[in-house]
Amino acid sequence: MTQPKEIFAITDRCVGCRTCTIACAVAHSASKTLFGAVAETPRPKSRIYVEWAPPAHKIPLVCRHCEDAPCMHACISGAIRRTDDGVVVTDADKCIGCWTCVMVCPYGMIGRDLERHKAYRCDRCPDRDIPACVAACPTGALVYQTVPAYAADVRRHASSEMVKGKGS
Amino acid sequence: MDSAQAYVIVGGSAAGMAAAQAIRQRDPAAGITVLSEEADAPYFRPLIPYLVSGRKQAADMMLAGSGPYTGQNIQVWTDARVAAVDCNAQTVTLADGRQLGYGKILFATGSRPFLPPEIRGTDIEGVFALRTLDDARRMAKRAEVTRRAVMLGGGLLNLKAAFALLERGIRVTLVVFSPEVLSQLMDPDDALLIRRALDQAGLEIRTGSAAREIMRDQSGVCAVGLDDGSEIACQMVCIGKGVRPNVDFLAGSGVRTGGGIVADRFTACNQPNTFAAGDVAVTYEPVSGRPIMTALWTNAVEMGRCAGLNMAGVPTVYSGTFGILNATQVADMPFVAMGTVHTRNLDAEIHRHASADAYRKLVFDAEGRRLVGAVLVGDITNAGIYRYLIREKRDITAVKRQIVRHRLHYGHLLAI
Repeated sequence: MTQPKEIFAITDRCVGCRTCTIACAVAHSASKTLFGAVAETPRPKSRIYVEWAPPAHKIPLVCRHCEDAPCMHACISGAIRRTDDGVVVTDADKCIGCWTCVMVCPYGMIGRDLERHKAYRCDRCPDRDIPACVAACPTGALVYQTVPAYAADVRRHASSEMVKGKGS
Repeated sequence: MDSAQAYVIVGGSAAGMAAAQAIRQRDPAAGITVLSEEADAPYFRPLIPYLVSGRKQAADMMLAGSGPYTGQNIQVWTDARVAAVDCNAQTVTLADGRQLGYGKILFATGSRPFLPPEIRGTDIEGVFALRTLDDARRMAKRAEVTRRAVMLGGGLLNLKAAFALLERGIRVTLVVFSPEVLSQLMDPDDALLIRRALDQAGLEIRTGSAAREIMRDQSGVCAVGLDDGSEIACQMVCIGKGVRPNVDFLAGSGVRTGGGIVADRFTACNQPNTFAAGDVAVTYEPVSGRPIMTALWTNAVEMGRCAGLNMAGVPTVYSGTFGILNATQVADMPFVAMGTVHTRNLDAEIHRHASADAYRKLVFDAEGRRLVGAVLVGDITNAGIYRYLIREKRDITAVKRQIVRHRLHYGHLLAI
């Protein structure tokens, strides 16, 4: 399996504009357009959440597709599986809306679609090259990268900060 | 002896199949044989009420290939009931006389319904204790000639069975000895909203009553006699009075049992190369450390996976489980109950909040620094974060306000 890309959130960069949540809901709507999406019933739902924590943190949160996904093992109907790309997906046809996944997700990342009585979560936009939330983020707070590439970026950034610190 | 396998798993449900899957992930080649006494291939047991309601077929419930159960080359023997285990020779003998040797063995035989001996007539046709896919098939068949059913016991399984029958247009009466339904999962006061939803959904509930006798006519069940002398005419009875672990096959094997099978923190039993997981195993509760047994799919999978890892040579501590860890939705009312939720006479700090369509009870320890239990009814958002806090015994002082107001999100935990 090739190393899959993941969605990383750089919380310092998030300004809490929630553009990502709108882009996510539109990407998971029937019409795929903003104007179409707002008129749809049931209302299209975002799978990414921007929360606020005191004093002034804005924190984008999205399913981590955990390596040892508690939701997948806890599911009592076999509705949750991992794809070859490492994405943990919920099969809406198999989901019975028992909310066991909601009870075991330590991040609170599984939504409940009350109209359809189904659980939903981030699917990393399988039909897009870059997930809609990442593509829409105006401040670069969301990054779509493999773990090694993202870690290399973080190291590079940290070392350049250190060099700068020495020079001054 | 007919043959020997590196891994033999007794029991083909949640714990057994999760263990088989975990072993297969660590060891692509080893022989794994699962012995199941049922005639059906392994299936998702919690789905069987859907066979009764007609919403799903048996083929929709099969475990192999669904969810995480994708491991290849796991042999499953159905109709294979283990009659005896010889821990010295490392063999099992099946009820039909076949023998099988093992390198390592897992006991994941689960539990069976408890039929209270004080109720007369539990063997009459039309009396069920919904446990297996085959029970569900027979129940669905009987439902065709049933106009009214009586459910004995107010637990979750019986509620699910009751709703399956209601969906088929059958009149259903639930007889509960406790003062309120779901008494194992919450205090009576916590169940008010659920009770109202059940009432509105058309379920008739008689609390504080016990069945004494089930009566028959030529077509099977015809009535249930209650302890107050009244009778309810019905064509079906479903008993949901808890379960008992299946340990009889271990008689004389030397494997230590005490209620269920006693397993250590690495899921191992007292005999060499023996392990136990699932409903049949005695495990412990992480908050209090007390030994408990549970009968929950989710717990059984978790312990089964842990046992599978230990069997495959990856030492893994089983971190125990809450005795109460339930999420579900009955009558359009979702709820979660987990950890310590029975708070009468408990030295604890309790926060309750009730509105027209939601209720929550959050239970903290006496010092108010740790969350020990939660009941969420109606709004179960982020329940998993509460579970995490309870299980890890986190000091929650910094986020207590958010917990009490049910505003907690994962971002709060990042910020503290």
